[in-house]
Amino acid sequence: MNSHTRPTPAKQIEINGVIVSAVPGQKPALVDGCDTIVSLFQKRCEQLAARTAHREKDLGIWQSYSWQDYWTHAKWLGLGLRALGLARGEVVSILSEDRKEWLYADMGIQCVGGIASGVYTTDSASQLEYLLRDSGSRFLFVENDEQLDKFLEIEDQASRVEKVIILDQDGLHDLRHEKCVFLDDLYETGRAYEAENHGVFEAEIAKTRPEDTALLIYTSGTTGMPKGAMLSQENVISACVSGAHALPTQDHDEQLCFLPLCHILERNVSVYFPIAGKATVNFAESPETVFDNLREVSPAHFTAVPRVWEKVYSRVRVLAQEATPIGRLCFNLAIKTGLKRADYLLARKPVPLGVRAHYAVWDMLVLRNLRRMLGMDKMRRGGTGAAPISPELIRWYWAIGVQLLEGYGMTENAGLASINLPNDNKIGSVGRPCPGVGTRIADDGEIQTLGLNNFQGYWRNNEKTAETFTEDGWLRTGDVGKLDDDGFLTITGRLKDIIITAGGKNITPAEIESRLKFSHYISDAVVIGDARKYLTCLIMIDQENVEKYAQDRKVPFSDFASLCASQEVVDLIKGEVEEVNHAFARVEQIKDFRLINVLLTAEDEELTATMKLKRSFVEKKHAGLIEEMY
Amino acid sequence: MGETVLDIQNIESFYGPIMAIRGVSLKVEQGQVVTVLGANGAGKSTLLKTISGIMDPEKGQILFEGREIQGMEPHKVVGRGIVHVPEGREVFPLLTVEENLTLGAYTRSDKAEIEKDRQMVFDYFPILAERRHQEAGTLSGGQQQMLAIGRGLMLRPKIMLLDEPSLGLSPLLVQEIFAILKRLNKEEGVTMMLVEQNARVALELADMGYVMEVGRIVMDDTSERLMESEDIKAFYLGHQEDGARGERRWKRKKTWR
Repeated sequence: MNSHTRPTPAKQIEINGVIVSAVPGQKPALVDGCDTIVSLFQKRCEQLAARTAHREKDLGIWQSYSWQDYWTHAKWLGLGLRALGLARGEVVSILSEDRKEWLYADMGIQCVGGIASGVYTTDSASQLEYLLRDSGSRFLFVENDEQLDKFLEIEDQASRVEKVIILDQDGLHDLRHEKCVFLDDLYETGRAYEAENHGVFEAEIAKTRPEDTALLIYTSGTTGMPKGAMLSQENVISACVSGAHALPTQDHDEQLCFLPLCHILERNVSVYFPIAGKATVNFAESPETVFDNLREVSPAHFTAVPRVWEKVYSRVRVLAQEATPIGRLCFNLAIKTGLKRADYLLARKPVPLGVRAHYAVWDMLVLRNLRRMLGMDKMRRGGTGAAPISPELIRWYWAIGVQLLEGYGMTENAGLASINLPNDNKIGSVGRPCPGVGTRIADDGEIQTLGLNNFQGYWRNNEKTAETFTEDGWLRTGDVGKLDDDGFLTITGRLKDIIITAGGKNITPAEIESRLKFSHYISDAVVIGDARKYLTCLIMIDQENVEKYAQDRKVPFSDFASLCASQEVVDLIKGEVEEVNHAFARVEQIKDFRLINVLLTAEDEELTATMKLKRSFVEKKHAGLIEEMY
Repeated sequence: MGETVLDIQNIESFYGPIMAIRGVSLKVEQGQVVTVLGANGAGKSTLLKTISGIMDPEKGQILFEGREIQGMEPHKVVGRGIVHVPEGREVFPLLTVEENLTLGAYTRSDKAEIEKDRQMVFDYFPILAERRHQEAGTLSGGQQQMLAIGRGLMLRPKIMLLDEPSLGLSPLLVQEIFAILKRLNKEEGVTMMLVEQNARVALELADMGYVMEVGRIVMDDTSERLMESEDIKAFYLGHQEDGARGERRWKRKKTWR
């Protein structure tokens, strides 16, 4: 153990009108005096009552739903489950895209002592069966007919499930199935239960202890079956405390929710932090409309995965290329000035007056409009996490006046371990450890964390739980990284992904892969070379940018496979690979590569729900391509 | 078969500011029938119009027998031997069947050969011979379609571009017309590029197929293999995958592989 920071004791402070533990990491973790997320939820609903909690589009028009709606529906839903026989400590699964009912279910389940577990809508029927069986769910929420069909397909294997609650009735009016009920019926059951047992809901909330398990989050598991990470009420509250310190939300902030709520990142940002910070959450209509919704909502802060930031950037780049020569010139000059200013800001140096004046002009002429066009004109900060992001991309966002900050966390530490701050930012690092999160680097380079945010363990899997904690109770993140002298954390790779070449050299593939991913033309890459003579790589190209490249250079192609097969595209990627090779020692250089010529979707097992390639699956599925290179 | 007659490379066409074709490349070989499938607004007709010179592409090349023809005036394209049988038939309603056919051979001067071709058209479409003196506007939809094809044949084209010949016709007539197209291809060796929404008949006729979606080709293969593809089955051939409930409203996601 070479370096570590440890939390120090303290009291309560007020941040943007919310009173939180002044020094996070100390028991008890409190937000406005509440030590559980459910009691905080109750408090907020009482406080904010008629204020808008959520907005959702109905037939193309934004509709508002109040905190009162949030409370009543969560209450009916929770009591409905109670009436159907849900006991405290039991898991309920939710299979739906993001929508307000997802949150109603999440809070409703937790308030009556249940454990909420999300299932990705891209999961197959057999994956659903595994998750239902592993979590022992007796109740399942499904969004619509499409998701319902997944359950019906595996109904016989999932006999433990007693009731399936359907959120959206469209196309299911003729459905007659003893296990299926519609959400409205469940609300009705809950309402009737409430009439007979007044105050039960509030009593259940009061019964909830910080150490009670609140959520089960299945980790995508690049090897083996997914494991359910148990997060307690205290974990969630302590994430809110760290969030309040590191990512302050202001009263009345607007947010956009669009990443899967099954993922800890979106869950924190769109469910728990808004409860703590009194923000309004707007739900994107669908993954395809995110950019339009972003413009409509113009959120105060926006957290996304690097892929999304990359997409926005590519769109702007294409637009700029197709602009008039004068427009293009202005745009380039504006970006140049923006970058100059960004370099001062990022170096935490005062911006010279000249640069400031220049920037003010270009901001007025170009950048302000650009931000408005992107829906980033009111954005105080952008967040990125869950995958590495190119430093150049972050600089570009700073240049156009959007403070994009990279953070780091994982399900097992409640999603928040370290983050860059607007005035304390080191590009390329994932920031300093969050307040309240102890961080150290083990002898083998593994990052380990300690704090109230460390999860309880894996659901019904003591063996894996034991492997995940050190003897002195620190969490093994499985990530390899460094803490620099200023206390900034940098991630270099995954511990178990380390490749040992036939020559005996240890290589962290993630380091090379992230460099490759920073190219606009490469969306993901997997480096191969375990027990081999040299390193090779499978590459997934970025469809849009490569297509654009091919078109601009008159490279004929028809479908995706022919695009990947064209010599010009292979040469392009070869150039990118060689560029990356320069940054590495000889043994760490990629000697050969192949392009994955199928357009993968989130439904494919090679991809995680956040569109990252899964090493083990890719290696298995494309074994032929790999062998070709050796 | 073998020699490439038509070679389209990275065509981009616009309607005003709207990009209708976003970089399409395809090839048609001598004696082949190539079909382009796609829903409304995919850019299929635009593609044909770009080939025949009615529209000019912003980018890309169209090579016909090895020479560039993109951006050429339509009548010069016709002169090269490319015939466009437009969507919705577009026969001259006030002219007789015979006059319509004669107009098809407008650019030719070899009287005897023209007469031979007219006879060939009448052999393939006997109904047109029967109605030769009737005004084209009084023909039924199917007969007008036959006339439009016949008029195209009168040029003795090197390639025929057919824009939805099945449009608005009864299933029986569609079968009939496609059977004749098949014979024309087999017996006369007419090379065809066929744009269709009726994927089943088109794939039965064609050797190769391309699938277009929003201005881009998403899949291309031989007709047999396309007919085996799960996506084509679900989205173009109307195969219903029955879910566990027996009725299903939602569709699988397209992957085009």
